[in-house]
Order: sequence, then C-alpha cells, then structure tokens
Amino acid sequence: MTAVARDAAPTSPARRADPASADARGTWRLSAALALLALAVAGLSLVVGRSSSGPTFGFGGPELASIVLTEIRLPRTLLALLVGGTLGLCGAALQGLLRNPLAEPGLLGASSGAAFGAVLVFYFGLAGADSLALPGGAVAGSLAALAALYALAGKRGDFLTIVLAGIAINAFAAALTSLSLNFAPSPYAALEILFWMLGSLADRSLAHVALALPLMLPGWLLVIAAARGLDALTLGEETAASLGFDPRRTQWLVIGGTALAVGGAVAVTGVVGFVGLVVPHLLRGRVGHHPSRLLVPSFLGGAVLTAIADIAIRLMPPGPELKLGVVTALLGAPFFLHLIVRARPASGA
Amino acid sequence: MSFSLTLLSSAALALLTALLPGAAHAAPLPSVASINLCADQLVLTLATPEQILTVSWLAADPEESVLASQATRYPLNYGSAEELLRYHPDVVIAGAYTNAFTRALLARLGYPIVELEPESSIADIAANLRRVAQAIGREARGDALAAELRAREDRIAAARPVHALAAVVVRPGGFTVGKHSLADDLMTLAGVRNVAAEQGLDRWGSLSMETLLRSQPELIVLTGYRASQPSLANATLAHPALRRIRDAGRTAWVPARYWACGLPESLDSAALLEQAAAP
Repeated sequence: MTAVARDAAPTSPARRADPASADARGTWRLSAALALLALAVAGLSLVVGRSSSGPTFGFGGPELASIVLTEIRLPRTLLALLVGGTLGLCGAALQGLLRNPLAEPGLLGASSGAAFGAVLVFYFGLAGADSLALPGGAVAGSLAALAALYALAGKRGDFLTIVLAGIAINAFAAALTSLSLNFAPSPYAALEILFWMLGSLADRSLAHVALALPLMLPGWLLVIAAARGLDALTLGEETAASLGFDPRRTQWLVIGGTALAVGGAVAVTGVVGFVGLVVPHLLRGRVGHHPSRLLVPSFLGGAVLTAIADIAIRLMPPGPELKLGVVTALLGAPFFLHLIVRARPASGA
Repeated sequence: MSFSLTLLSSAALALLTALLPGAAHAAPLPSVASINLCADQLVLTLATPEQILTVSWLAADPEESVLASQATRYPLNYGSAEELLRYHPDVVIAGAYTNAFTRALLARLGYPIVELEPESSIADIAANLRRVAQAIGREARGDALAAELRAREDRIAAARPVHALAAVVVRPGGFTVGKHSLADDLMTLAGVRNVAAEQGLDRWGSLSMETLLRSQPELIVLTGYRASQPSLANATLAHPALRRIRDAGRTAWVPARYWACGLPESLDSAALLEQAAAP
C-alpha cells in the first residue's frame, strides 16, 4: 500500500488547478501503481507456501517445484486476484449505481444469493464440483438477489430503502443456504456452511480458474460498459436521461455484470466479504467522485487486498487454514472504521 | 513427469513380483498418507510403521482419536494438497466428506485416492478395514482384523442382558442417534433398545428435553466430548430435567471417539453399554 500513498501526494495540488484532467491523470497513476503492487503481491503469493509446520518459502525441492508452482500456487494466486478484482469492481459499480456508499455485492445479497444457488446445485445432485451447472446456479442466485433488490428498492433509490432491502435479501439468502445445508443428504454437508459463508481459496486448481473466468470476464466488460452512464447518474436520473444516457440500460449493465462476475467468483470460492465494500472507499478519495474513474483502481485494489489476505492465511502458525472471508474482514474492517470515523461530518459517497 | 515415471516403475515392479513368486517379500509395500481422522485410524491399525508417511493432526488428539499415542509417532498434516505433495505417497486415504477441492486436486495430480464412506454399522467397519487393507497391500491383516471383529461381536452378543433396557443417547448439543447409524448398531449388539430408533428417527437428529422426558428411558447414554471445555453444546448435558432422569435411572458414558469413526475399538462402547445395563 505504500506505493499508493507516495503516488497520491503530488496529485493533490494539481487537482485544485484543473480538477477534471488532474483526476484523470491521478486515476491512471493510481491504477499503474496498483497494477505494479498487484504484480508484486502475486509474485509473493507464488513463493509463499504452507507445510505442516507452518509457512514455507520457495517450492520444496526441484522435482516438486513445477507442480507446486503451476498446479497449486498459480491457481490460488490467479483466483485471489480475479475474485478480489471482481468484488472491488462490482462494489465500486454498485456504489455508483445506487449512489450509496454501503452498496457492495456482499451486503446487498449478490454473493449470498450466488452461494445459495451454488449450494442448491452442488448438494442436491445436479452437478459435480467441476461442471458448468455449479457456476450457472451461482449466477442465477446472484441475479435473483440483485433483481429482487432492484425491484423492491432500486427505483426509489433512497439510501435507507436500498440498504435495508439489501440487508434483508442478504439475510434471507444466507438463511436459505443454512437451511438447505441442514437438509442436505449428508450431515457432513452442514459443516460446509462455513465454507460457503466465509470463502476459501485452499486447494483450488486451474480447472476452477477455467470455470470462473468465462463468467467473470463478460461480467467485468458489462460493468465497465456502464462507466459513463454511472457518471451521468450522479447528476440524477432525469439529467442523465437528458444527456442521452438511458438509466435503465446502465442499471441492467451493472446488475447483470455483477451477477455474472460475482456468480462465477462465489461458485469457486464461496462468499468473500468486505472487499467490495472497503476497496472503493479506500480509493475514492484519490480519484475524485466520478464513479467511472473508480472502477479500474477498485478492480486492482480488490485484487491486491484479497491476494494479501490469502498470503496472510498461509503465514499463520501451523494449524488448519483460516477462511478467506475471516481474514479479508480482519484486514478490511479497521481500515473501514478509520474511514467512516474520519469522514463522518461530511457523510455520503 | 516424475510421477508417471514412478507409476511406470511401480507397474514394472508389480509385474516382476507377479512373475517371481519368491520376490514377493522384496517388493516394498505402498507408502500411505491419510488426511481424515477415520482414515488415519484405519491406516494406523492396518499399515506397517514404514508405510505410514503422515496422518492428519486430529489423529493425535486423544479427545478425537482412540489411537492418539500411536499417531504422534508420525508427521501430522492439516490436509492440504501442498503438504501432501511433499510426502509423495503411493496412495492417499481420505474420507468421502474430506474437502472436495483437495480431493479433486490430488486426483488431478495423479495420486490414487481411496475415499471412505462413514461407517453406519459394524459390517461397514469390516468393509472399510478390508478396503484400506487392499489399497495398502495388507490384505491378510485386514482379513484377520475383520475376522477378529466378528468373533468379538459374537462374544458381546452372547453376554447380552436378558431384559433390554430402553435407552436414549444424549450427545452434546441435544443430538441423538437413530437407526442406520453405527451407534444404533452397537446399542443393538449390547442388548439395549434405542428408543429414538424405535420412534423412527433415521441416522441422527436433535432431541428436545420434552421428548426425552416423555420417552421415559431406563438408561441414558451420554457421549462425552471435550467436557472440560466450555461450549453451549456441552451445557445441554447439564439441563436440570436431564439431571432428574439421570438421578432416577442409570447412566452410561461413552467417549465420543468410539462413535466418531468405525474401528475395531468401537466395540469397546458396546462392552461399556453392556456393563451399564447389567442387572
């Protein structure tokens, strides 16, 4: 994170002189710095392993190196970056769309809807762990949750309704997941509630990358296609329409894109909380208040935060692995608290 | 690459031993890594010490495992694929409910995996003993233990009390066991009636204090699990209503490790029940 701090300092005076172009320059510089950071973290993630006696560094002997690197650490690292990026990007887009700083895939039920969809497919005999039905179920669940939210509260767009509806949908989807796992054919399945609710990247293979990426990629593109529309929406729906942006199109791009990308992510990692909420907030102060400028930095920031969390898991003392969602919340919550305490007098996104 | 070479060479070795009967003793037994508590204990029971590369950390916990002291002699694992790669086992023994991602990844990397279904009867114990024995080249030992298991089953059955006491199992958290479960099979063997099974409960389920009181059990079977460590689940065992039934009738304590996995030692619990039910 030090690269971000260094980068931000010189841009702040320039922003006062010419806000728009300075913001754009700042966004690119921030993105470049975050991309470098993501590369560095990915490199570290490939080197850090975990044995029975705790963290290890390196690849454990020449004959193991290529398997450990390509079959174990590479998929894990790729998924951390891709899933974290998805959550950061979708969090930033949802916060822009709903003009609400609390919006994020986890809070609004997109993630838990996806988890419920995946659980239904996985535990009730519709698919093996590697078939396409699993992410299909996750996408359907995510889409259903976001569509329900939008139908209930999206048009009124006021702060309280959306957040309350989102919290209710989230709790409902999480309860359905717990309920269905309790009814699952095996009592052991009930233990896996933890995995679906707290997320994990342990022992994923390249097959899981191949499963999630074809959903994430179009999801990202849909969300990014909404970028200009999101900027226009900050002026209100009517003004946006008068500028030639169809608010409904923007809304469906963000919702559809989030459902696809988050559905793909949750199908292979379970619900990873907090990334989508925290990352846009961490970066918003550095790119100004255009939602479009926040998208790419949030993607990169989400990737960095998630990869760091996953490295932290491997650095823990010996024992069974912690769940990823536990660590993202442990790392993210103090940052977030710091931000809201600092920003309280001037509330709003 | 190196793994397919190993496969090839072990296939060649197998061929060689088949061709030369006298060479059978020279062929090394397959090395084993186990990543599930129940698999661990079967491996510890069946394998030679030289075969065992690693067992899971739970196997060394005396609360969980009946073979804890034996397990501490081997390196312990936490069941991740990267750990197991370092041991390079010939065969991996897992449970059918061990982390699906780990099992899929190990299979993808070409490791033969045996996935054991949880035992829901005494017959399942013998079946899993034989299955693991076959996977690790210890068929004779597996057959001997299965035969010994059956003989002990017969001895316990012969010593059953004449009057079958009505019994209810109370596990921490208010759970009980029904038919089609290992515990129920062991209770039947010991000659006590499992009231929950008679009422139609399948496998396992929760038991309210009210149901417990109404079923008027003559014997309460408590399974202790980490009783000294605070948990809401253990607090159910201290319920005043339960205390009153316990004061009125008989109580048997069965440590949870006897029922967590199906093992030859699980029959010890039937002997415990028989003692508690004896007139």
